[in-house]
Amino acid sequence: MSRQYSVIGHSVPRIDGPEKVTGAAKYTLDLKFPNMLYGKILTSPHAHARIISIDTSEAEALPGVKAVITHKDVPTLKYGLSPARWDENIFCSDKVRFVGDKVAAVACLDEPTCYKALKLIKVEYEVLPAVLNFLTAMDDGQPRVHDEYEKNINTEIHQEFGDVAKAFAEAYHVRTDTFIGQRTYQCPIEPHTAVSMWDNGKLTVYSSTQSPHYFQYYIAREFGMDIGDVRIIKTFVGGGFGGKLEPTGLEFAGAVLAKLTSRPVRMFYDRAEMFAHNRGRHAQQMEITTGVDKNGKILVAHANFKMDGGAYTSLGIASAYYAGALLPMTYEFDNYKFDMYRVYTNLPACGAQRGHGAPQPKYAFESHLDNVAKDLGIDPMDIRILNARRENTVTPNDFKVNSCHMRECLERARVMSGWDEKKKNRTPGRGIGVSTGSFVTGAGYPIYRTDMPHASAFIRVNEDGTAATLYTGAVEIGQGSDTVLCQMAAEAMGYRYEHMKIIAADTEITPLDFGAYASRQTYMSGTAVKLAGEEVKKQILDMASAMLSLPADDLDCDDGIVFSKSREGKSLTFQEVARKHFVLKGPLLGKGVYTPPRLGGTFKGAPVGTSPAYSFGAQVGEVQIDAETGEISVLGIWDVHDCGKVINPRLLHGQVHGALFMGMGESVWEEVLFDDKGRILNPELANYRMLSAMDMPPIESEVLDTYEPTGPWGAKEVGEGATNPTLGMFSNAIFDAMGVRVNSLPLTYEKVWRALKEKREREAAERG
Amino acid sequence: MINQTITDKDGVKRYLITLNVNGDARTVLVKGNAILANVLRDELNLTGTKKGCELGDCGSCTVLLEGKPVDSCMVLAIEADGLEIITIEGVAVNSKLDAIQEAMINFAAVQCGYCTPGMVLSAKALLTRNPHPTEPEVREAISGNLCRCTGYVHIVEAVLAASEGRLSPGEHEYPREEGGSI
Amino acid sequence: MYMPDFEYHAPKTLTDACVLLDELGERAIVLGGGSDILHKLKNGHLTPEHVVSLKHMTQLREVRHEEGRGIVVGALVTPHGVYTSPLLQERYLSLPMASHEMGNPQVRNRGTVGGNICNASPLADLPPLLIALNASVKVVQYAGERIVPLEDFICGPGKTLIKRDEILAEVIIPDQPATGSTYIKFGLRKAGALAVVGVAVAVTVKDNVLVDVRIVMGAVAPVPMRAKDAEALLRGQTITDALLEQAADSAAAECKPITDLRGSAEYRRELIRVLTKRALRKAIDEGHV
Repeated sequence: MSRQYSVIGHSVPRIDGPEKVTGAAKYTLDLKFPNMLYGKILTSPHAHARIISIDTSEAEALPGVKAVITHKDVPTLKYGLSPARWDENIFCSDKVRFVGDKVAAVACLDEPTCYKALKLIKVEYEVLPAVLNFLTAMDDGQPRVHDEYEKNINTEIHQEFGDVAKAFAEAYHVRTDTFIGQRTYQCPIEPHTAVSMWDNGKLTVYSSTQSPHYFQYYIAREFGMDIGDVRIIKTFVGGGFGGKLEPTGLEFAGAVLAKLTSRPVRMFYDRAEMFAHNRGRHAQQMEITTGVDKNGKILVAHANFKMDGGAYTSLGIASAYYAGALLPMTYEFDNYKFDMYRVYTNLPACGAQRGHGAPQPKYAFESHLDNVAKDLGIDPMDIRILNARRENTVTPNDFKVNSCHMRECLERARVMSGWDEKKKNRTPGRGIGVSTGSFVTGAGYPIYRTDMPHASAFIRVNEDGTAATLYTGAVEIGQGSDTVLCQMAAEAMGYRYEHMKIIAADTEITPLDFGAYASRQTYMSGTAVKLAGEEVKKQILDMASAMLSLPADDLDCDDGIVFSKSREGKSLTFQEVARKHFVLKGPLLGKGVYTPPRLGGTFKGAPVGTSPAYSFGAQVGEVQIDAETGEISVLGIWDVHDCGKVINPRLLHGQVHGALFMGMGESVWEEVLFDDKGRILNPELANYRMLSAMDMPPIESEVLDTYEPTGPWGAKEVGEGATNPTLGMFSNAIFDAMGVRVNSLPLTYEKVWRALKEKREREAAERG
Repeated sequence: MINQTITDKDGVKRYLITLNVNGDARTVLVKGNAILANVLRDELNLTGTKKGCELGDCGSCTVLLEGKPVDSCMVLAIEADGLEIITIEGVAVNSKLDAIQEAMINFAAVQCGYCTPGMVLSAKALLTRNPHPTEPEVREAISGNLCRCTGYVHIVEAVLAASEGRLSPGEHEYPREEGGSI
Repeated sequence: MYMPDFEYHAPKTLTDACVLLDELGERAIVLGGGSDILHKLKNGHLTPEHVVSLKHMTQLREVRHEEGRGIVVGALVTPHGVYTSPLLQERYLSLPMASHEMGNPQVRNRGTVGGNICNASPLADLPPLLIALNASVKVVQYAGERIVPLEDFICGPGKTLIKRDEILAEVIIPDQPATGSTYIKFGLRKAGALAVVGVAVAVTVKDNVLVDVRIVMGAVAPVPMRAKDAEALLRGQTITDALLEQAADSAAAECKPITDLRGSAEYRRELIRVLTKRALRKAIDEGHV
C-alpha cells in the first residue's frame, strides 16, 4: 500500500484548465505580430519526378507577394531527425520524392494572395516511375528513391540473442504467422503552425512543437547558427503524438522568408498538407515465428519484419529498431532473433507515432500467441500469465527491467472483464480478447549523440513565498506535464500546488529538456524537478532552523507549513521562512538535472529500447460481430496498468483513455489510402475516420499500486503504453467471436465479413 | 436589411455586415467569400474558435448560430449578417465559468484543449434545450466534435455531471487509484 | 484555406431571386445552407462569379400540410428541422429518423433538404426515402414553376434537372396509403459517416399482403435506384420470410455498386441484400410511415 502524499497522488485540476475552457489559450495560429506576413509552401503533385525548371517570376510580380523562395534561396544542408540518415532538404532541387514534397514557398500580405501566388509558380517536371509498394521496393528493377540507397534500403537490422536454432530445434510446437499493418496518421486536431522572426541576427520561432530543444538544435545546425541565437517558444500545442517532434518546412522556410522580408512570417499546414507531411505510423509486414514447450511457454521468437519508411527517414531508424526491441518485454524468453528492413518508397515519410514502432508488432505477436494457444488448447489468458515477465529481470536484448507487474495486470484484467464467465457462456457473434503491452519510460539515449543531461529544471520562490515558479523545458502537449510537474515541485518543496506557477518550453528562459516523446517527462523531467524542489526545501529548512532555533534535521515541510517533527506547536509558514530567506540571502532558487545511467548492451542498435523503467499493461476487449455485415460493435474495454506511482489519477486515466482510443481507431477504422499515382485518397477527416463520441464503448481503466524504485516517488510511464496492446486485443476479440482471423490491419467490417463468408463457404464445401 | 456595398478600384466588392457576437453588435467589412471562422478570429480577435480541418469535419470551429451549433468554417460570414453568434468567449459570464467549463476542468476532460471550445459550445447547446440528458444524448450532442486526446470518457462524464449540478468528482471517485493490486 | 472570389447577393423575395438568376445565368450559383457549396468552393470545384443566397426566403423554411397536395417541406428546412418537425414525426416518422442519420449535429443544423437533393451525391441520405415516399419537387424560375417527380429530378452523380436560373423551392410528399417506411444506412462509424449503402423502403400492407412496395437503394448506382424487380416480386404477395429473402436477393442483383475507398462492389452488393431484407421487415413490423 503506497504512501499518501499531500500533493502528488491527487487529481488536482489542470493548471492550464481555465485558459483552455475559455478559449483564452493561444495556439500558434492565434498569434499575430505587427507587420506580419503569411506564408505557404508549394508542394509536388508527383510521387517521383525530376525538377526541370522552376519559374517564380509571375508569382513575384503579383501585388501583395513579398518573397518567393526555392532551393536556390535556402541552405542545401541535408537534415533529418536521425543523425545516421540526414536525407531531407528544405526544398527539393534535383527531384521530388513524394506527392507533397517541398518545392517553393511564398510570403504575402494575406493568405488568399498566398494561394494565388502558389498557382503562378511554374514548375516543369519530368515524371519518373515511382516506388509505391514497400513489399516490392527492394526488388530488382525498382527505381531508387534516393540515388545513394541501393535497393531502397533505408535501415537494415539483424540481431540475434541466445541460441535461436537450438531453441527452435528443441521446441514442442513451432508456428509461423504473417501479418500486415497499415499506414495511419497521428492526426492531432491542431495543425502544424510556426511563426518566425528575426531581430539583429537572432531568430525566434513560435511553433506547435513537442520539443523546442530539438527544433532549436536542428534549426541552428541548418542555418549554421549558434544555438544561443535561436529561440524556440512553444505556445499551447493541440496534440502531437510524435508528429511534432521535428522541424518542418514551416520552420525552415518560414525562417528564410522572415529573414528576406525582415518581417514576422506565419505559416501553417491545412489538413490535407498535414496528411502529406505525415511522419506517422509505418505500415509493417510482420512474420512471427515462435517455438513453445508443451505448456505453451515461449522458448524462442523470430521477428522478420519489413516497414514502409516513405520518402525520408524522420525518426524512422529508431522506429525500425523499436519494432523489434520491445517484443521480448512482456513475456520472458531468452532466445530472440530480429530481422528488419525499413525501405524507402515515394510516399509521405513515416516517423514516430504513439507507441513508436511497437503497436503493430504487438498486434502481430499477440495474434500469433492466440493462434499458438488455440493449437495447444490453452486459454489465451492462461498462456499469457504463464509467460508474463517478472520484476528484476533482463530481456534477451539487454534491457534491464526493475518493477514489473505483468502477471498481476493480467490477473486483474481477467477478473474485471469477467473473462472466465464470458469464455464459458458464449453468445453467438460475441468474442473476448486479451493482449499485453509495454513501453519505455523515456529513451535511454537522446535522438542525436550528446553528453548533455536529458532534463533540467529550476524553481524560483518569489520574495515573499506567495508564489513559486517552476522553469522547465518540458513540453505540455495535452498530456498534463505542466500540471504534474507543478505537483511534483510542490511536493518536493513541501509547498502548495495552488501557489505554483510554471514557465515552460521557451529556450531563452527555460533550461534544457529534450521534450515530450517516448513518454519521458513525468520520470525524467520529473526527477529534475524533484531535485530542484528538494534543494529549495533544504534551504527553507536551514532558514527555519535558524528562525526556530531547532536543528534542521528535526524539521520538515509539508503543505506549506514548516514544522518540528518532535516538538508540537513549533511551526512557521513556508511564506514566513521564504521571505526571511530573501531578506537575508536574496533569491531562493533550486535546480535539478537528470541523466539516465548508462543502459543497455553493446550490440548494434542496443541503445534503442533502453530505458530506466518500463510500464506494463493488459487490455481485454469484448466485441459483437454482425455476421451478415461484418460490423463490429465494441461492448467494453478493460485496461489494467502497472505504471508505478500515480502523480495525478484523473490525468493518468485520461492518458489511458486517449491512448486506447487511438489504438482502437487504428485497429478497425483508420487507414491512409493512396491511388496508383501515390496521391492520398483520404487526406481529410470524413474518410480518415477518427472515432466520434458515439463510437466509443464503456472503458474501465485501473492502475495497480506499484512502485518503480528508480522513478521519482516510484513513477513510470503510461502515455504510450496503453496504445500498444489495443490492436492485438481487437484482433484476438474478433478471432474469438468469429473463429477466423483477419491477418491485416485495419480489421475493417468488410474484411471481417469476407473472412466469415470464406469460413462459411469452406464449411459448406467440407460438409457437401 | 440592405448591405452597404463598397467597390474598390479593382472592382472587388466588400459588404458591411453586423454580427451579433456574444451579445455585442459588431460591424465588419467583408468580401463575399469571407468565412465566418476567419472573420471571428482575424477581424474580431476572438481566437477561441479554432480551425482544425476547415471542411466541417472536426467541429473545432463550432459556434452557436441562433443557439444552434454549426461549423463556422462552413458558413460565409455574410450569411450570418444580423444573426446571433455565441463563441467560446461568450460562455463564461463576467469571469464566472459556466458549469460545463468548471466540470470539464475538474473531471480532467481537457487535455490539449484544441477541441475544447467547440466541445463546450456543443454541450452548452445540449443542456440549454435538454437540461437532463442521458449518456447517449450527450454522446450524440458532441458527435460532431472530434477529440484526439481524451477518448471522450471524461468529457461525457463532465457534461453529465454539469447537468446534475455536480461540478467536481468526489474525493474517492477512483477507488482503485492506489489500491487493488493482487 | 483557399476560397474563390465572387459577388454575393441576398435577394429579399423568391421573385427577386428568380429575376437575378435570369439575369446572371451561367455566372451564378444558388446558396442554401452552404454545406456542400462551401466544400466545392474550397476544393476549387466551383468558381462562380456570383452567389445568390436564399437566406431571406423564410417561407422556404416551413413544413406544412396542404389539402390536396400533401406535406410540403420547404427547401431550406434543415435536417434538424425535419427531425424536430411535429408534423413529420406524426405523418412520416421515418423521415425525421433518416435525417438524424446525416452527418453530425453541426451538419444537421446547417444542411438543407433542398441542398441534399440538388447536390445529388449518390450517397445522399434523404433522396432514397423521399423517392420511396413518391416525393416531387417544385422548381421555380422567373417564367413560372414546374413540379418534377424526385425520382426523375436526380439524373446523375451531382446532376439534377434544375436549370441555372431555377430554384428548388419545395419537396412535396403526397398523401398516400403507405402503412410503413424506413431508411437504413450502413456507415463505417456512428457519426459523420458517409453511406456505404443505404436502403429506403415504403410498404402498404393489408391483411399480411404487400399491396404496394417501393424499394430505393442509395450509394450503389449513379442515382438513387429503385429495385423494380424486387418490387415486382413482392407486389400483391403474402408476406413470408422466404419472400423477403427473395426480394433482397433480387435487389442485390439489380444494384450497380462500384468499388471505392469505403468498400468493394461485392461487399456493397451483399450489404444491399442484407439491408433490403432488414428494411422490409422493419417497415412491415413497425407499422409507421
